[in-house]
Amino acid sequence: MESLVINEVKGSPYFPYVNFNAETGICEIRGESYMEETYKFYEPLIKWINDFIRQNKPLVMHFKLTYFNTNSSRLILDILDIFKKYRASGGQIEVYWHYDTKDPDMVEEIEDFMAESGMEISMVTF
Amino acid sequence: MPAIKEEYQQNCLLTYQGPITVNLVSFLGNYIKSFIDYDTKVLVRLFKIYIELTQNVSYYSAETKEVKNGVNCGVGWFTLQEFKDSFRITTGNRILKSDGPKLTQYCNEINGLNEEELRELKRKTRAQAMVRDVGAHIGLIQTSLTSGNKLDFNIESINRSLSFFTISTKVVKP
Repeated sequence: MESLVINEVKGSPYFPYVNFNAETGICEIRGESYMEETYKFYEPLIKWINDFIRQNKPLVMHFKLTYFNTNSSRLILDILDIFKKYRASGGQIEVYWHYDTKDPDMVEEIEDFMAESGMEISMVTF
Repeated sequence: MPAIKEEYQQNCLLTYQGPITVNLVSFLGNYIKSFIDYDTKVLVRLFKIYIELTQNVSYYSAETKEVKNGVNCGVGWFTLQEFKDSFRITTGNRILKSDGPKLTQYCNEINGLNEEELRELKRKTRAQAMVRDVGAHIGLIQTSLTSGNKLDFNIESINRSLSFFTISTKVVKP
């Protein structure tokens, strides 16, 4: 299985940087997310995660999103739901959300994700 | 398109009228974050509200225009104003007259809820939303949550099939 890397494109800051490492299971999404047709961007990410956890390997996800619109949040919730099911079936998974303390609302956003998905997220400040 | 009313143009820091593409949203959003000299927490909130409201115009305006490479996007306007005690963001766009009652219901429902109730409504709406299109409702809920203020909205008839939807909210200065 190959790693999934999507580099930032200058002039298109609405696409986040993605680095899902197939060897280590360490995954990172960083930047801002408010592209059009959000599902088209997130579908390959969700497919990669599903393929990876099928191998029953441990996965560590680092969310470092400083902004995501409501469309993106719907897809992030889908990812968290997959993690929750993986953990419930005995899979090893850790989720970290890195946030800037200058953002007055991010903690609430993360709490909402936890409440909705039932997935535990460790909050880490930048 | 009806002209931007004077009340939305006083003390204006930024205004735009025309097709709203994601590139434009991004470019002017960067201006809000980088070139307005104010408390970062306030600017973060302005940026979030700006994105949700302008993307609602881009996705759901009843008036669309084909821009480069065959991309269709919504047409409308937005303004960012600064007052002594607050900033205000407003957008305006055409809607189908038949969508007016639904939008009015959404906004009235949101304005009738406190913060905890809004968060609950957001979670419920997001869980039920389609992956391909979450709809305008959740964006309006998020806008009200981020601003901490009510949505000030207005729907005016244009003709038999179209109305004009204006929505505004403010971020209070600390």
